[in-house]
Amino acid sequence: MHEISIAESIIQIAEAKAREQNAQSIQVIKLRLGTFTTIVPDALQFAFEIARHGTLSRDARLDIEIVPMIVRCVVCEASTQPVGGICLICEQCGFPLEILSGEELRIEYIEVDSAKEQSSWSQYQNEFPSRPMY
Amino acid sequence: MESVPERISVQTNVLNANQQTAAANRERFANEGTLVMNLMSAPGAGKTTLLEATIKALQGKFRLAVIEGDLQTDLDAQRIQALGVRAYQITTGTTCHLDARMVARALDAFPVKALDLLVIENVGNLICPASFDLGESLRVVVCSVAEGPEKPKKYPVMFNKANVVLINKIDLAEASGVDVNELLANVRDVNPNATIFTLSSRTGEGMTAWTNWLQQAVATRASAALVSV
Repeated sequence: MHEISIAESIIQIAEAKAREQNAQSIQVIKLRLGTFTTIVPDALQFAFEIARHGTLSRDARLDIEIVPMIVRCVVCEASTQPVGGICLICEQCGFPLEILSGEELRIEYIEVDSAKEQSSWSQYQNEFPSRPMY
Repeated sequence: MESVPERISVQTNVLNANQQTAAANRERFANEGTLVMNLMSAPGAGKTTLLEATIKALQGKFRLAVIEGDLQTDLDAQRIQALGVRAYQITTGTTCHLDARMVARALDAFPVKALDLLVIENVGNLICPASFDLGESLRVVVCSVAEGPEKPKKYPVMFNKANVVLINKIDLAEASGVDVNELLANVRDVNPNATIFTLSSRTGEGMTAWTNWLQQAVATRASAALVSV
C-alpha cells in the first residue's frame, strides 16, 4: 500500500505550490500516471481521499490521466503498445526495446481558488484562528 | 465570496523529494568509495540466507556492513551480526518499502565510513520498493525457483529495474516442478540487460560465480573512487 506515501507526496507538492501563489484552496490536482509503474489508480484515489484531510487539498479532486506504455525497438524502431504480458525484446527482430512512455508519475498542474478579495471564510479563520475545522 | 479558479503549472515528479534524498545518499556513498547494493525480493525468496552465504564467502576480503529493512523485528539484523558483521535494523512499522529518507536517517545512527560494500536488504515485496531509489549503485533482485516461473512477468517493473537477478533455490527446481530455463527466459523478456546468476545459497551451487562477480564490482568501485580523489 505504497499509494499512501505517493498520495502524501502529491499533497505536499501541491500544497507548496499553492502556498507560493497564496492560494486559499486547491480544487484540482492533475496527475499523469504511466501504466508501467507500480501505482494502482483506484488505490491512489482511495489513499488521496484519506491523506487530503486538514490540507489545502481537502476539497480537491485528483484527476489522473493514464499514460499507456509505449516501447520502441532500438534497432528496427518499430513502436508498439504491449498488451497483456510485457516483453522488452522486439518481436520483429529480437533486439531490446526501449521504454518511450508508461513510467510517468508527474503532477502537471493544480487548479486553485486564489482569493482576489479576501473571502468571508478566510476572514472568519483570521478572527478565530483556533477554531477547529469541520 | 469572490474566488477565481486559476491553473498553476507544477511539472514535478511525485517522487521528487525521495529522488533528491537518494541523490544526497548516493553522493555520500561515492565520497566514501562504498559500493551500495539494494537487495530486493518477494518475502521468503531467501534474501537473508543468500546474504549470509555471500558474507561467509567474502568475509575478510573487504569491509562490509548491512542495513536491514523489515516491518517488524530485528531478527534479520541479529542473523547478520551473528556472523560478526555490523548490521543496523530499520523497522518500518507498516510501510511496505524503504525510502531514501529512512536510509539517510539510518546513516546518521550507523556511520558507513571506511566501508567497501554496504548491503541494504529491503522489505520483502516485489511491488513498492521498485519505486523508491535509495541512492544505491546496484539493484539486485532475488527470485527463488519455488515461486514459479512467472514472477518476472507478473512483477515486470521490479525485474525491469534490476541490474542483477539472482535465481535462488535451484536445488528445489525439480521438487517444485519448475523449468529454470522458462524462468530465465521470462527474466530476459522484461529485462534484456540484466546480469543473471542461478544459484542455491543452501547447497552453495553457483555461489562462486556470483561472489566473484560481486568482489570484482567492489574492487572496481574502490579503484574508481581512488582515481577520482
